Amino acid sequence: MANIDAKEYSTKPSTTKSRLSWLWSEYSVIIAFIVIFIASAILNPRFMDLNNQLNILMQVSIIGIIAMGMTVVMLSGGIDLSVGSVLALAGVISVLALNASGSILVGIFTALLVGSFAGFLNGLMVAKGRIASFIATLGMMAGARSIALYIADGGSVSGEVAGFTAISNSDLWIFDVPVIIFLAMTAAVFVIMHKTRFGRYVYALGSNEKAALLSAIRVDRIKIGVYTLIGSLVGIAAVIETSRLNSISSSSSGAQYELDAIAAVIIGGTRMTGGRGKIIGTLFGVLILGILNNMMNLMNVSPYLQGFVKGLIIIIAVVFQKRE
Amino acid sequence: MTDNPFMTMKNIDKSFNGVPVLRNVSLKVEKGEIHALLGENGAGKSTLMNILGGVHLPDNGSVYIDGEQVRMLNPRISQEQGVSFIHQELNVVADLKVYENMFLGSELRNKAGFLKVEEMCRETHDVMATLGVDINPKEYVRNLDTSYKQLIEIAKALLRKSRLIIMDEPTTSLAEHEVNRLFELMRSLKQSGVSIIYISHKLKEIKAVCDSYTVLRDGELVGTGSMEKENPETITKLMVGKAISQERYVHDNPFGPVIMEVKNLTSEGLFNDINFTLKKGEILGFTGLAGDGRTELFESLFGYRKKYSGEVRINGELVKIDHPRKALKAGVGFVPKNRKENAIIKDLSVIHNMSLSSMGNFESSGFLRDNLEKERFQYYKDALNIKVHDPQITIDKLSGGNQQKVVIAKWLEANTEILIFDNPTQGIDVGAKQEIYQEIVTLSEQGKAVIVLSSEAPEIIKICHSINVMYQGEITARFDGKSANEEEIMQYATGSKREAEKIG
Repeated sequence: MANIDAKEYSTKPSTTKSRLSWLWSEYSVIIAFIVIFIASAILNPRFMDLNNQLNILMQVSIIGIIAMGMTVVMLSGGIDLSVGSVLALAGVISVLALNASGSILVGIFTALLVGSFAGFLNGLMVAKGRIASFIATLGMMAGARSIALYIADGGSVSGEVAGFTAISNSDLWIFDVPVIIFLAMTAAVFVIMHKTRFGRYVYALGSNEKAALLSAIRVDRIKIGVYTLIGSLVGIAAVIETSRLNSISSSSSGAQYELDAIAAVIIGGTRMTGGRGKIIGTLFGVLILGILNNMMNLMNVSPYLQGFVKGLIIIIAVVFQKRE
Repeated sequence: MTDNPFMTMKNIDKSFNGVPVLRNVSLKVEKGEIHALLGENGAGKSTLMNILGGVHLPDNGSVYIDGEQVRMLNPRISQEQGVSFIHQELNVVADLKVYENMFLGSELRNKAGFLKVEEMCRETHDVMATLGVDINPKEYVRNLDTSYKQLIEIAKALLRKSRLIIMDEPTTSLAEHEVNRLFELMRSLKQSGVSIIYISHKLKEIKAVCDSYTVLRDGELVGTGSMEKENPETITKLMVGKAISQERYVHDNPFGPVIMEVKNLTSEGLFNDINFTLKKGEILGFTGLAGDGRTELFESLFGYRKKYSGEVRINGELVKIDHPRKALKAGVGFVPKNRKENAIIKDLSVIHNMSLSSMGNFESSGFLRDNLEKERFQYYKDALNIKVHDPQITIDKLSGGNQQKVVIAKWLEANTEILIFDNPTQGIDVGAKQEIYQEIVTLSEQGKAVIVLSSEAPEIIKICHSINVMYQGEITARFDGKSANEEEIMQYATGSKREAEKIG
């Protein structure tokens, strides 16, 4: 109502204090990462070991790839609970396709196809069926797991094609291939979100769906695209997961991946209701979770207690982000 | 007027962020009278009532109830004093039962803390009986008609032994027979000594049911008195005021060919048999009261609403617009009302809000080019005088007027032949208002076809070549902008006059 011209000019951080709080609100996850990193280095000398560092990257790569997709979904104002189950389903079907065809390419392609198709279905349910994403993907979570169990008869399926394991078990210079795929996917999602109209529309949709629609954006298609994107990323993650041990378990593979992925996104500062958040934030969220896991192992914290620590960190992260 | 009114508000001042909203306003309500509170949008009616309801504190002035001064610090105190506020948007919980709504927040419980359901039902039934209605207290509210929901609110007020009930435009969502029932109810409340403050635009209704009136204009008291002595025309004059500048912005530039033709457009319950044509270079106004269906009409034409029938031709071609994207492709742009909910994306920067509807203009080989967006924004910043220091900040940090200019820039960039503005100066200061009027007129001079919707008749008269007045989903009158006057428009907008033959 009241328009005082000075108002428009008062937004730039002018004092040191406001500049600091601006820095904190924009980069709190990076600051937290640095703090945790330094603390870890002091607490345990083995932490800084190059092999340990590379090991952390390797361990977070699968969750990291999924978390990139999850960031996009959550920026759009949705959530995807089905990622773990879809990973198992894509893994199981792709191994069967791999064994039947004898072609690694067919295996990879199948995983991608199953993942994207499941995501596409989620998108259809959310966009056209107007089902809340929580419910739609909860259904997909149960359904995909069940089909995976049925196909594999409740057990594991193993690859029978030589060379398939090379995907996850070879290096490029000092990096494991999954790490490179993770970083490449991070870069790709970053470009999509910041350099294409799709990304812009996702932010708009998550921030104000009605205004996005009234800005002549095809909101339904964007939603379907978002879930298809995370589906295909889950497909990629499934290939890595399967190739790592040359087998995938229909019952346990991917279990609780959705929680870790959502945790990484939240720690990374993306708002639960959408419209606000950063890909880079999620990258650091993933790394923070990785360091915590690693440190707890190095310091012999009981595995039963590790969930507690993780839960605590998530809640602390959210409490601090409330400050904005 | 007797010397001891039931409720008195004396010399109330109130300003928000340094902008005065009420200046030295007084209001007296007698015991057992129905008092109409009148004024145009933004006259300060709601603020005054919010002060009485304890939502806002006055800067100056005092409130007396039964002769004693009361400080309405919060809504609770106000309720304890016997004041109930029935808002335009009804505060009933659809998923609860009638009696649960009635006792929400003040449930009857026995000593063990369990709810005394039967007693609550009985009391609900009793109160409803005094209102002359028979509804099952255990019925879910969602199964009831709107008028019953209103009844529940009134019954709730009676249950709390309210002595003064404020009703804010209670009839906007009611059908004719429901309105009559409400009026009977109000009269019987009056008989039992309850006072009512009735806020409405509809003079016909006010004439029918109110005893006295108070008119506010621009935050000041301009008239008060007994209803019997006044006729609607004088009150309309009071509401509108004479001092308004009649200077018209719009010039008589020659129109181009017909660009949009709408025939028999109907959507059940929203608007009925709408016909009009729009020419290039023309500014066509639509006005009326809240709930007249004009917003729904143009939301339909823009494809936001899909359930409508009728013919729409653009440049002679029959089009079926069922998504805003299709409207954009057909050459229709839409600056919606309620900017915050409908138009701005508050998490996106000023620049990104500007480019949102025409991303294709900023792409090369599939990727967005920040520089193109920046350059283009700079152009609009100068052209529309958008005051922003750093266009990378999020749009919610701008003032209302500057936000609106960015939204307009968004549609200018989309470069549509037809532009619809719904309430374009809502929540905007006077200076920015003039700039927006000027921009709208300039657009028409450039040959764009413009449609302006507004509930403020003076605004419409200032900038439109011709004016359509809507009442309950129908166009009831059509005026030439030059000869239109506010009072006449008001008569058609309130339904007190209705001349089908005027439509030609």
